[in-house]
Amino acid sequence: MKANDEGGYSRRQFLKGCGLGAGSLVLLGQFGIHSAAWALSGEPVLKMVLVDYSKCTGCRTCETACSASNHPVPVGGKELPGLGNPYYANIRLHNFNPDVDVANVCAMCADTPCVRACRVEPDGETGRRALYRDEATHTIRNDSARCIGCRSCAWACASQRTGTISPNPATGKPERMCTLCGGDPQCVKKCPFSALSYVEVRNNRKFYGQGPEKIAAQLARNWYGTADFGGLK
Amino acid sequence: MSSKAGYHGVVLSVDLSTGKSQKIPIPPEDFDNFVGGQGLGIKILWDRLKRPGVDALSPENPLLFMPGPFSGLPVPSSSRTCVVTKSPITAPRKSDHSHASTVTYSNMGGFFGPEIRFAGYDGIVITGKAPALSYLVIDDAKVEIRDAGKFKGMRTDAFDRAILEELGDRKFKTVYIGPAGENLVPYSSILHTAGRAAGRGGSGCVMGSKNLKAIAVRGTGQPGVADHAGFLSALEKARKVLNGSAYAKSWAEQGTARGIVGNSKAGTESVRNYREGTFSEAEKIGGEAARRDVWVRDIACYCCPLACKKSGMTRGKYGGVVHDGPEYETGVMLGSNLLISDMAGLLKAITTIDDLGLDQISTGNVIGFLMEAYERGMISRSFLDGIDLKWGSVDATLAMIEKIAAKEGVGALAAEGVRALAWQIGKGSEKFAIHVKGLELAAHNIQANPPRGLSYATASRGACHMSGDSAAMQNRRAMLDSTGMCFFPTFEPALEEPMLSLLSAITGRTFDKAEFEKTGERIFNLEKMFNYREGFRREDDRLPDRFFEDAFTVGPKKGAVLDRDLFETTLTEYYRERGWDPKTSSPEKVKLKELGLDGLSS
Repeated sequence: MKANDEGGYSRRQFLKGCGLGAGSLVLLGQFGIHSAAWALSGEPVLKMVLVDYSKCTGCRTCETACSASNHPVPVGGKELPGLGNPYYANIRLHNFNPDVDVANVCAMCADTPCVRACRVEPDGETGRRALYRDEATHTIRNDSARCIGCRSCAWACASQRTGTISPNPATGKPERMCTLCGGDPQCVKKCPFSALSYVEVRNNRKFYGQGPEKIAAQLARNWYGTADFGGLK
Repeated sequence: MSSKAGYHGVVLSVDLSTGKSQKIPIPPEDFDNFVGGQGLGIKILWDRLKRPGVDALSPENPLLFMPGPFSGLPVPSSSRTCVVTKSPITAPRKSDHSHASTVTYSNMGGFFGPEIRFAGYDGIVITGKAPALSYLVIDDAKVEIRDAGKFKGMRTDAFDRAILEELGDRKFKTVYIGPAGENLVPYSSILHTAGRAAGRGGSGCVMGSKNLKAIAVRGTGQPGVADHAGFLSALEKARKVLNGSAYAKSWAEQGTARGIVGNSKAGTESVRNYREGTFSEAEKIGGEAARRDVWVRDIACYCCPLACKKSGMTRGKYGGVVHDGPEYETGVMLGSNLLISDMAGLLKAITTIDDLGLDQISTGNVIGFLMEAYERGMISRSFLDGIDLKWGSVDATLAMIEKIAAKEGVGALAAEGVRALAWQIGKGSEKFAIHVKGLELAAHNIQANPPRGLSYATASRGACHMSGDSAAMQNRRAMLDSTGMCFFPTFEPALEEPMLSLLSAITGRTFDKAEFEKTGERIFNLEKMFNYREGFRREDDRLPDRFFEDAFTVGPKKGAVLDRDLFETTLTEYYRERGWDPKTSSPEKVKLKELGLDGLSS
């Protein structure tokens, strides 16, 4: 990122830039254009919901859109989107003091540490463990019938990546894997601030696969010159 | 599913004296007639306080945290929580009751109201007094009162982090008081997210009187709606109106801080303790300057597409993290009104006031009054404990803020507000003690804006700039503040139709424009009934003499001053329009009957 004096590049723009621009800039610039080259190089192309932390205002509309879309309800014989209870959202807003909001969502990891951690033996026919990557949608799914609720996937996600996967408090079975809403993520569509996009990303991007606390600390340092969020981890 | 669509049908009632809590069912007709938020809060207050003169700081006075029917649903900008209680600040000029005071309501954004509804309640009602400083944890159906001794005296920014560390989960939404509330400063606020506040009217003082440091809420549920398909289609319409609109972007750009320069240019800003309406240095503390030098983020409340809240940082002597501001009220009350034009100093004052848990508006007003009394030689430097409280002095302002919150020295008297200060100081200072019924005026000056004067004079909680400049506006606002939706998106006229459709789809009761206003009128009249019972009469609906005597000497509205006869005529017309007796301001029986309030008369 380059500061442009002629354009009256303000201190605030600079602060915003160094915190966040990395995401969208690097991505849309390098990725969109070079994705073909990538594919040729054999590196997997990850298409995921990407957050621009400089645009996110922490309003949580994404949570409600996600929940409404992924938890439809039968109404008069038809299935309609739900009322958007954020408790059931797969994308989750983590908010901090000083004021940083980090939307946390499945990073669609190419190497799927969550799947590799699954203790259920691969099925002879499909080769799938209980947790598996759906080849059509590229989303992570759980075969609830075979899942033993051991929480290994959630632990792998939390210790190695974003920590999005949460075990159900009662069953221990994994939840909150992004479904991409069948290829049309509703969080992206409903974000009032265009802070979310559904794009190809590379795993060396800044913030990629990091947990919300780590991301928040980097953002807070840039924005406020401090990353003291208190003792809660 | 409750018997009333759109609601859980219950409030959580907690008695801090006994430590017992229970779910109390709300009659379906109360939801129909008073909706939620401010309206339902006033109704519960009325039901609980059956006689006038109850001491606001007694265990008997209930403290209510009221979301509305929009809360907890993804309706745009529906983040508000209305805190309702009996005011510890206001008083009538004459009354038979020693602790007579008005109702008070204070409305804040953020995430608390929705979380109350996620936890399964349409409101929280706190009564009693805990034996020692405590905090309340509400985790869905589980309710627990815990010791808060170790948090005693803790400032709000540190406490905001400490309480979450103690609870071990950031998903808890919390409200809390600072040292000012613990010390029972009447104009103490209740803070949320370290930068949002139910500021006006002293709700933080009432919370302090109950030995309640904080409330933490976490929930997993949601109320149902009457018409699911209708709700979804109205929701999409509402989102379409606001999302990405030029209107929403203008709020994101400067928030309310745009008014700091705008109202100064219009001659409607509170400047130099309301002596003037224009501040020559407004640009230095306005939205543009803040955008350039301070703000790094735009922040939204729950499901809000406006994002009017700003955070940032300042450097230098007064440097630090800024959770919010300047916005219009804080920037003017601590800036223009005190002639402070140092942005970092202004933000230090704003941040300190939030940190101590004081109301920004009353604090700025009180300090402005003291600056004027000091300049005029009515009080000495020793009266001020040695503080050289000159116009524009940041250091003196900061010192006074600390004194007020600690009720130390001059702070003990200043904590009682400008009315008490003027009584004590005398010497004609009452003329520029800028309050109505004991509550200080806000950042909108009125020499050049007479309708706002009516709002201040007739609002149910004392001088309130948000009440509405006419009876019709007051009715609409009282209703809006009962739904859980914020006032700010509603300047967009295209939102009205989908907003009414949403309310109808959620509650199953058809709200057209007329029904919306009628319900607001009922709420406003019940507030008036409460106040009238306490002893408030027409002579309490008055404005300080300054506005009728001190014409502006600078700015585009130079020479502007209120006309006393015109004000009295307007007031008489207002009472007539309301169906209130112009002599006493008592609501007439026929009006109460029309509103279905006659059965509540006492």
